[in-house]
Amino acid sequence: MAIRSLKRTVFRALSSLQSPSYSIGATKSLSLFSISKYSAESSTSASYSHPNFTCNIISRCRLSSLTEEESHVPAAVNYASLLTEEEYHKLANSTIHDLLEKLEEYGDSVDIDGFDVDYGNEVLTLKLGDLGTYVINKQTPNRQIWMSSPVSGPSRFDWDQIAKAWIYKRTKQNLFKVLETELEKLCKNPISLS
Amino acid sequence: MLRHIATTSLGVRLRCSAAAGGSGLHRMYHERVVDHYDNPRNVGSFDKNDPNVGTGLVGAPACGDVMKLQIRVDEESGKIVDACFKTFGCGSAIASSSVATEWVKGKPMEEVLTIKNTEIAKHLSLPPVKLHCSMLAEDAIKAAVKDYEAKRSKPSATPLEAKAADA
Repeated sequence: MAIRSLKRTVFRALSSLQSPSYSIGATKSLSLFSISKYSAESSTSASYSHPNFTCNIISRCRLSSLTEEESHVPAAVNYASLLTEEEYHKLANSTIHDLLEKLEEYGDSVDIDGFDVDYGNEVLTLKLGDLGTYVINKQTPNRQIWMSSPVSGPSRFDWDQIAKAWIYKRTKQNLFKVLETELEKLCKNPISLS
Repeated sequence: MLRHIATTSLGVRLRCSAAAGGSGLHRMYHERVVDHYDNPRNVGSFDKNDPNVGTGLVGAPACGDVMKLQIRVDEESGKIVDACFKTFGCGSAIASSSVATEWVKGKPMEEVLTIKNTEIAKHLSLPPVKLHCSMLAEDAIKAAVKDYEAKRSKPSATPLEAKAADA
């Protein structure tokens, strides 16, 4: 099955990240592994008759290119340097709840047709009618906050311990600043989120 | 007998979902996304040890999305002559990586680096929550090109041969 061979590829890739000759350019070695059952809804090929499957996947290991600053190439993440899950949840939840409150107040002061702020399943959805929709959610495995903006598209913010803020590594931008700038432009009304 | 029951219940389920669709389910995949899912293009694998193949592997199973995008490059012209992908993830992720393989074919490497996630997202009419899939596809393209270039800049001996030579 192609799925199994993709899994094998993922496993091989994860284990071979230790070797310096690995061509995808991972520079750090992985520190911790844990096995978790992972259930997915769909797979890559329509020629397989059962789209639902469970697979035991090595989690807590990132091949994502998203935190690589210069080269946008997958790099393994050293989890020891990141937030613990508990710290992450506290920080991310308080950030998103803050945003929720401020956006609700903002909604009362601006006159946008179709303005709606919704928070459910830890996902914050801000609808601005015809101006577009923002979706802000937690991405726990990566310790990130993900945002989807009608202005700037998708972005992924990491917690910067020094700046004490959520920063998108590719653009070095701060989550609150991005939202403030974009919302002011879209709704013609300033907002202060920090 | 059992099969009859199975097909009947399946039929009922299908009719129900059709009814739901007919009554105006507003959250649906765009027809292009469904097309890429039903008629996958370029699904497959190249030999990753082939010097003309660049492999980009992005995403993480824990996040629900892993994409492997491979390109075969013609050495002389620097153009991508073939591409294939394998993706583990949602319909939007599959469609985004499928579109990426279609768009890189026949293009020079420098040009494919300019493919933006916004273009993929627009082409597939991805909803806001799925824009991240298109970004992953853009990353996969970049990773594949980067891998090819890294391979090309390495010395000709494979790592195993080099180790044997050292021993």
